[in-house]
Amino acid sequence: MKISISQSLAKLILLFGFLFQFLSIPVFSQDRELLGAGATFPYVLYSKMFDAYYKQTNVKVNYQSIGSGGGIRQLKEKTVDFGASDAFLSDEQLREFDSPVLHIPTCLGAVVITYNLPGNPQLKLTPDVIADIFLGKIKKWNDPRITNLNPGINLPNLNITVVHRSDGSGTTFVFTDYLSKVSNEWAQKVGRGTSVAWPVGLGGKGNEGVTGLVKQIPGAVGYVELIYAKQNKLPQALVKNKSGKFINPELSSISAAGKTKIPDDTRISITDTDAEDGYPISSFTWILVYKEQNYKGRSLERAKQLVKLLWWIVHEGQAYTEPLDYAKLPGEVVKKAEKIIKSITYNGKPVYQEVGIK
Amino acid sequence: MQSYTFRIAKSKIISVILTLVTLVSTIPFLLVLYFIVKNGISVINWEFITHLPTPVGEPGGGILNALVGTVILIFIALILSVPFGVLVGIFLAEKSGSKISFFVRMMSEILQGVPSIVVGIIAYLWVVKPMGHFSALSGGVALGIMMLPVIIKSTEEILKLIPVEIKEASLALGVPYYKTILRVMLPAGLSGILSGILAGIARIAGETAPLLFTAFGNPFLNFNILKPISAMSLLIFNYAISPYEDWWAKAWGASCILVFFVLTLNVITRIISSRK
Repeated sequence: MKISISQSLAKLILLFGFLFQFLSIPVFSQDRELLGAGATFPYVLYSKMFDAYYKQTNVKVNYQSIGSGGGIRQLKEKTVDFGASDAFLSDEQLREFDSPVLHIPTCLGAVVITYNLPGNPQLKLTPDVIADIFLGKIKKWNDPRITNLNPGINLPNLNITVVHRSDGSGTTFVFTDYLSKVSNEWAQKVGRGTSVAWPVGLGGKGNEGVTGLVKQIPGAVGYVELIYAKQNKLPQALVKNKSGKFINPELSSISAAGKTKIPDDTRISITDTDAEDGYPISSFTWILVYKEQNYKGRSLERAKQLVKLLWWIVHEGQAYTEPLDYAKLPGEVVKKAEKIIKSITYNGKPVYQEVGIK
Repeated sequence: MQSYTFRIAKSKIISVILTLVTLVSTIPFLLVLYFIVKNGISVINWEFITHLPTPVGEPGGGILNALVGTVILIFIALILSVPFGVLVGIFLAEKSGSKISFFVRMMSEILQGVPSIVVGIIAYLWVVKPMGHFSALSGGVALGIMMLPVIIKSTEEILKLIPVEIKEASLALGVPYYKTILRVMLPAGLSGILSGILAGIARIAGETAPLLFTAFGNPFLNFNILKPISAMSLLIFNYAISPYEDWWAKAWGASCILVFFVLTLNVITRIISSRK
């Protein structure tokens, strides 16, 4: 009996030894790791970028897509090195932070109008028609307002079923922001937001949920990120922009939407863009960081890693955008991003000089 | 009065209907199993379980980070909840009539009903916020809390089943009370306690919600419990909502592995608890 007690004691000690081995792994590599969280939309791009970055620099960047709102919240709680969001922070939101927050644009995305019609023709749509479809005022696919825009396409006498997001989402924000700009009625009745009170339609969770519903229901129309429509081989409508051109949502036209007057902090909505060849339902997506990096006992080394990473994202990292159906930052926006990255400080001193950025 | 044959026929019809209904209840499970195996089995190969994920568009890659993560999370949850759970179970069995027992038993039952996402938020508040960062430890705490009621309940139930004569015999021979518990009662109930622990693991292995804001996920391999870690359920969730077929396939493969892991645990639990 004694033997068995000492045996179990030995086992216990072994167990604890095992546990402490985990605990006592030195944190030598702490500053070669960065943590980010936020928007779902750029998740795929970021995972590709950070994989490449790890291979080049041996710095591990762990990005988790918990949603734009979650990213903003975790940055506020200071549990992450950077947040990511599809919607920029309003002045009011910025005031809730105890120290200034910077927006660094990383790429552009677009929300496309997709539908399920026999033969899936590529439709042309104008802003007022889109708004009235989503307001529930246009009820049939063969409504003269749609057929007049699409001569030569035989549209069926089919009910329109609107599909929208049921969850809060940056995609919804971009789409409703666009509708609010182009339709007074929309702006007054519904407005913009990450989730709104939809006048008509069915809700699907996430881009994947909306995609699924549109695929299932003949006559359905919904809005999703371009990549989801492409990967699921759904049709995408041409949308008439401010200059009167019908624009196909593709990388060049989305990128072109960013060629407009951008403020220095890049906090701008580019929906209904002035750019002549720009797709009107496009948007930037941002990484959010604190301007002053010495908070909560962060090391200078960590701040340097973050600045290097951001610099890499807006330069070399841009090469990974287009193969994955994200639109590149226009040159002028890269210049603005550079300036913003250079304004990051540690103890009030700019960090960029210390990492060899000119 | 109804005829004899009519009554026999009625009884037969009813029993056939009941058998059918019973069989129908297994259909959802069989369908789940069918689809998961159909879609998942072709993805699983040696590389799938021994490599880290690759980004979209690159062939190959696996889910090693998630496999390791789930194992470590379960391990942490076990270390935290087994000693606690078994001790509480012993107390409840021994002092089953006392007010404290009544109170603790009720609390444990309520804990079992708490939605898993709430447990995740609690672990976030208890561990992540004070530590200032996400970690495997916080995920383990969340899962440990979820396991606790299962272990308490099974320990209590099994100890109550042991004939009181065995305990009396031990005490009558002059064995101290604590030794009676440790050397007589616990070994007698060991199989039951073990199956309770396995059932607890099966309960938590597939949990996603408590991990979202605790373990957080990690595309890299991590053995440090103070850093974020991946898990099978997190990986399945992330891959399933992505727009890529390649990732969907991997989500099916990971689901297949997870389901068979849980299934195996359940079968082992059954075998242990049915053995006398």
